[in-house]
This record gives sequence, structure tokens and C-alpha cells, in this order.
Amino acid sequence: MDRRDFLKTTAMTAATLAASRLAYGQAPVAAPPVSSGSGVKWNKAPCRFCGTGCHVQVGVEGGKVVAIAGDPKAEVNKGLLCVKGYHVGLALYGSDRLTQPLLRKGDKQVPISWDEALDIIATRIQKDPKGFALYGSGQWTIPEGYTASKFVKGGLGSNQLDANARLCMASAVTGFLATYGVDEPAGCYDDLDACDVLIMWGNNPAEMHPVLFSRVIDRRSRGEKVTLIDIGTRRTRTSAFCDHVLRFKPNTDLAIACGIAHLLVEEGTWDKAFVEANCAFRAPSEPATLQGKAITFEEYRALLAPYTPEHVEKLSGVSQKDLRMLAGLFGRRDVRITSLWCMGVNQHTRGTAMNSLIHGLHLLSGHFGKPGDAPTSLTGQPSACGTVREVGTLAHALPGGRVVAEEKHRHQMEDLWNVPQGRIPAKPGYHTVQMWERFSTPSDKGGDIHTLWVQVTNPAQTLPNRHKLVDPSRKLADKFLIVSDAYPTETTRIADLVLPSAMWVEKNGMVGNSERRTQQWFKMVNPPGQARDDAWQLIAVAHRLFERGFEGMKDRDGRFLFEVKQDGKPVPIWDFAHYYDVNVDAHLFEEYRKTTRIKHKDLAPYEEYVKARGLRWPVVQQPDGSWRETRFRFSGFDDPYVEKGRDIQFYHSPTHDGRAQVWFNPYEPPPESPDDEFPFWLCTGRVIEHWHSGTMTMRIPQLQRAMPSAYLEMNRADARRLGVGNGDVVTVETRRGSLELPVWLGGRGEPPEGSLFVPFFDEKLLINELTLDAHDPFSKQPDYKKCAARVRGRKRKEARG
Amino acid sequence: MTFSSLVLTLEDSAEQRAGVLARLERDARITLGMPFEERWLPVVVETETAEEGESVAEFIRDLPGVRFLDVVMVDFSAGEC
Repeated sequence: MDRRDFLKTTAMTAATLAASRLAYGQAPVAAPPVSSGSGVKWNKAPCRFCGTGCHVQVGVEGGKVVAIAGDPKAEVNKGLLCVKGYHVGLALYGSDRLTQPLLRKGDKQVPISWDEALDIIATRIQKDPKGFALYGSGQWTIPEGYTASKFVKGGLGSNQLDANARLCMASAVTGFLATYGVDEPAGCYDDLDACDVLIMWGNNPAEMHPVLFSRVIDRRSRGEKVTLIDIGTRRTRTSAFCDHVLRFKPNTDLAIACGIAHLLVEEGTWDKAFVEANCAFRAPSEPATLQGKAITFEEYRALLAPYTPEHVEKLSGVSQKDLRMLAGLFGRRDVRITSLWCMGVNQHTRGTAMNSLIHGLHLLSGHFGKPGDAPTSLTGQPSACGTVREVGTLAHALPGGRVVAEEKHRHQMEDLWNVPQGRIPAKPGYHTVQMWERFSTPSDKGGDIHTLWVQVTNPAQTLPNRHKLVDPSRKLADKFLIVSDAYPTETTRIADLVLPSAMWVEKNGMVGNSERRTQQWFKMVNPPGQARDDAWQLIAVAHRLFERGFEGMKDRDGRFLFEVKQDGKPVPIWDFAHYYDVNVDAHLFEEYRKTTRIKHKDLAPYEEYVKARGLRWPVVQQPDGSWRETRFRFSGFDDPYVEKGRDIQFYHSPTHDGRAQVWFNPYEPPPESPDDEFPFWLCTGRVIEHWHSGTMTMRIPQLQRAMPSAYLEMNRADARRLGVGNGDVVTVETRRGSLELPVWLGGRGEPPEGSLFVPFFDEKLLINELTLDAHDPFSKQPDYKKCAARVRGRKRKEARG
Repeated sequence: MTFSSLVLTLEDSAEQRAGVLARLERDARITLGMPFEERWLPVVVETETAEEGESVAEFIRDLPGVRFLDVVMVDFSAGEC
């Protein structure tokens, strides 16, 4: 068989397996494509991009990734991929990869050695460790995030560590904590195969989680009935598939949720037996806390009383008929309802409240704990759950669901890391917005962060209100910005020191997706030039500090904090030439794994993940020695931690009585609304072709060609009124900045009259210079989905050249 | 040379399905697999460049009788990168 025949056979095998999956909705027994006679070697890896956690088969030949196939053995994607996934291999091969450290000298960034770079960082840290901060990502692998936590909290004795998941998932976390006392969804993607009704709250999975959405659409193609409901603020690709499309005025989703709850209570269709056995009621307290205050059912009912269908229709624009339709569905016991949501609910100044309300609707109506009955928050990033939420790379957190405020938790981690008691401060560090505010404030005016190291994220493009949070630091002589990345970005462009990073299958890795699934892969190709693993970068700086006698990088016995031994001898992993002499990921993961039991998020040994396409925690060892994952948490039929004989048990209940909390949270007006001066709502988000700020996907020719630049979506009626046509360039202005954008009318999405939408992937058109930095009081997550804007000026399409 | 493997989900109408098969069989760049349940059709597209492969996929996606097109695998070993 020649190479052409081999590739063609492989391609047909992949297509046939996927077609079989689609036809029968089950795993084919055939193996994924394997090499036979060709030089292509195949191995598994999760896709690099979103939080869905699809598995791909990666074909490598001659030290280069040459092919990508959907992995038919993967339960998540069953052999299918989205447009980003099947091009993921090309993300490694953009022509402008960063390949050596660069130091700013005047207006230029000039090459320096790794040795010099490590010295510069170590010197800045040594001068004032407390003024050093690390800003990471939900795209850090689990071992990278664990290294970061140990480096900052265990080594520097500081809590100045936060991650970009603060911008995407923080309100989901606080919603879970307020409701169940513990983070992350109870259900999983299996719910999508079993639900009768799928409600998408401000969510566009057809573009943002397309493989999950196609799982539902495929059920329809097989003749199954699934009712799809889109509750959102603009028409999207998802809307086109939905049976019911409900448009609401921005920020009024809380009123809609309260309106449904009101109808359930008043019509007596709430699930009394479920609630009496498993729930308690809660409302906001004064002063506001995440725990709120306990209320009785009658008090709950009274608080909901104003949310009549008439009142909610007036507030939200959703008709009374549609509100009654939703309440009618929740009130039925013969249908199974799954809710999905993501950034529309999380990037919200009332994000925690809205997350809690969706959970509350499912609890109140008993649509919980059975396959197909689940409130499921989706994540945006591949390891927002695994790394940021589980490892705890946040200013208040410690690994395994611990928090720095708890003395017992601090001591547990100090003992595991073998560092002196008292090393970890009790006071949380700065959350993301504060961290960047402090970095952008002069040192003599309270700006106590002098050095900020960014890894695996592009905050100059993704933080809100960049003029306030980022730019001022670039004019302050004593502020030093370090950025590790694979490609030049808006953040590397303004950095003082740039470090080239290895990415995806250029290194070992583990991530955790939206459904509690922990996934593993091995390094398959070498990174280009001097690009190196992010975890290595941290360990190398730690060792440089250790060499200089910095106490924090020694354990209680004087040994290096990140010591890894093989055959009883330390391996010099701080020297990159020896980093892969051992599997550092496996060492870090096995250490981290010990922290996962207290919140019943048990992980299996590393080798179990090598064999699997991910396992959903808690993963518990069985009497025969095998490891069993858990699909439905808190449900007696599946979760091993539920006491025998109980259908449901919320064993981390915030009230310590096995009960989840059904919250009342009132509608409140947003911090900024359209007015005479700024008459439009402005919403931002993603597009299917691009991953976040486009750092990787804009280097993939097929994706760049498909969506080359950002645009402004507006309603045709508004466009007519302003005299604007398709392709015309207009200026969008908010109180924080302005941006020229081409108009796209009737494209893949369309906002209602009075609303605008702009995607944020384009580094040439930075929409976050315009967005609001107001944030949720509990999660500290900013609201990128609504602020007031105006549109002015107009250049005809042909004038653009 | 670039290979793309696709799965087409065909419409309910037998007439439309037959039309899709007839149209695809005429294109030398396209190899058809065995359909599942007469509806899910594995397809391999062989083109000189990835860009040409994209155009063929777009063309197939727009054919009457094709409800969905899923891309399962793209080989880009000889493509642009």
C-alpha cells in the first residue's frame, strides 16, 4: 500500500466509523485509524481548544503532526469534531512561533538566553516576593496549574495567583457553592442523550460547543423528539434549530427565572416530595454573603409574589404565553429537562444569582438527578474545571477545593508540600480585576504589584476596560510584565520579557472538561527553537531562587520544593535537557491527586488516564482493583458517596444537612443601561472559527480565511434608520472607548433592535477597550455581555479599499 | 495531496438522496463509502490543496438533499503550514 492509498483508507475508515456512530448512536467496536506500512503514528489527545473536551487522534510523521481525526473511542465526541478541532494540528505551525526569550530594551524586544531570562525573573521576585503576581489560565494543564499554585502559595508564601477563568467561569463556581456547597455539575453530557427538553439560557452551543449540540440534533435525525428552547438576547445559529425562541431584554433573565418559579409555586406544580426531602430555601442577606440567609417556603413564596407573568413580561419582553409554556414544562413529571448555559449567564454582574436561580428551578421542580434531568453549566476553556476550579489556581483557593481562609486547609497543604506551617497567608490575594488595577497603579499610590507573569492567556485583549486595567502599567518604569506564550499577541507586544512556550502535543498534559472528565496525553513532537513547557519555566525559576538560597523554595528538610527522584536520586528537571528524563507530569499529578478526596473529587492514578479517553470524577477504586467513574453525582444509583438507600444526597450541603439551597434572587437593573446618549446595548462573544483571542486559530489559514476579522452585528431596522449598509464601516463608542468596525447585517446572528454584537477574537479590533469592568460581587467576574453604546459615522464599503 | 473525510446526513426524501449520490459519483475527487441506514454517508475527498478541499466540502454542504455535513478528519501533511 503506498502512502496515498494508506491515507485514503485511513480517511475512509474514520468517516465510516463516524457514520456508524451517527446512525446507531453507539460506540463502534472497530479501532481508530492506526499506522500500517505508513510512517504515520497515531496517538490520542484532547482537542486544544474549548471546554467540551473532544478527543482527537493525532497523526505524527517525521517529527511533525500531519493529520487529525476525531477519536471514535471518545465518549464525548464519538469520532466527530468541529471546524476548529479538525484543524487543531495546524495550530502548532504558524509561521511566527516564538522561539526564544525576548527582553525589552527601549522600543525593541531583543533576544536573550533562557539563563538570562531566569535570572531576571528570580531577581525581581527576590527583591519583593509579595509584589510578584502570576496570572494564568483555564488553558494551563492540570500539572502546570498545580506547579503554579505550589510555586506561589507554597514557595513564595503569597496568594497573588489568579487565572483568566475568573473572566469566564467564576460565577458558575459561586453559583454551585451557594447551591450545593461544592463546585461543578452533578450531571454530564449523557444528559444530552436522554433529555426531552433542552433549554439554552443565553447560550449558543451550535457555535460554541458544536459537537455537543450536534449530539442533540443527531437524535432528532434518528427520529427522536427533543424540544429545544433558546432563551437569549440575539438570534444565533442555535436559534435556527429551536422550537421556541424567547428574546429577552438584557439583564432580565433573573426576572424570567423568578417568574417561572412563581408560576410553579402558585399553580402547585413544584415537586413537593423532592423539595421536602432534599432542599431548603435561601435569600440574599444584609450584608450580602454567598451563604445568604435561610427562609421558609412561605417567605420564598412571598418574595416571588411580585413576579407575575404580567410583571415579568413587562420587565423582560418575554410573553406571558412563553413564560407559562416554560413553567408548564418544569411542572411536568413526564419529561426530562436539561438546562445549558455558559458565558451569557456567567459574564453578568448578577452571575452568581442567575446561576443559583437556574439550579433552583431544577431543584424546585425535581428535574434533577435522573439522566436527562440536569442543570449543566458548560465551560469555555479546556481546563477551566480541571486546572482552575479543581487545582484551585485562584487568589482565594488551594488545591482540591481548599481555601486559604481555612487554617486546616492551609496546614494540610503545608504538610503535603512539606513547607513550614504559616507559609500560606490566610488573606486571599487579588482577584483578576484588582490584580491588574494594582499593577496599573503607581507603587507610591497603592499599586503594590510590581511584577506580573502571564502564562497561556492574552489579557491585553481579553480583560475588560483595557485603558484602565492594562495600559497605565506600560508607562510606569518600575512595573515589569512577563508573558509566556507560543505566538506574538497583544500582550507579548507590550511585555518587558517574552518567554516562548511549548503548546499542546509538544508537551505532556492533562486537562479537565465541563463534565468532570480528566484527560491525559503524551508529548508527540518537539517544540520549535527554544520554546519550553510552562511548568518547566516555573520550576526553572524556582530552582534559580533555590540556588540563590531563597528559603521559600526549600522544603522543611532543605530540599528543592519541586524535587523529583528516580531510582532514589534527584533528577535535574530544572535543566530542560533533563526535563523529559522522567514524566514530570505524572509526578506532579500523583502529588496533586492526594488533595482531591476532601471534596469527593477523587482522581485515579495517572496510568488509568493513559488508558482512557478521560474519566469523570469521583473515580473510585472497586473491590476488584478497577477504577469506576461517576456520571451522575449526588444520585444514589450512580454516586458511590451517596448513602445506601437514598435517592439523592447533597453531601457537601452548605447547611451540612444534605440539602441543596433553592435561592430567591431578585431582578435588579444593570450597572449601565442604554440612554439618550448611548442608546444601544453592546454584547461581545465568540465565533465558531476562533478560539478566544485568536492567538492560535488566526494562524490556521482555513480558519483565518473563513473569519478574517471582527465585525459589528446590528439589526436591519437600526441599520436602515442610521443609513448603514452591509460592509459599511461605522464607529462604535462607549463611555470607555471607540472602535471602527464593518457592519454585517443578516449574517449568522442578528441582534434585536437596539442591540449590537461584536466578537472579541480580532487583535486588530480590540472590543474590550469598550467593555465594562463592573463585576459580580461574589465571583468578581466582569460583565462582557452588556453595556451602553452608540454608533456614529459611516464610510461606504467601497471606501475601505 | 490532501484528504478530508466527511459524513453526510441526507434528507428523508429517497429521490433527493439518489440525486446526491448521482451528483457525487460524477466527481473524480470524491469517493463514497457504504451508507448507514440509507442516510449517513461516509465520503472521502481527495484534492490538490486544502483550499480546494474546503470548496468541495462547501459545494457538498449546499447540495439539495444534504441536511448536514460533518468533517471527521483532515490530513494536511502536504498542505499549507
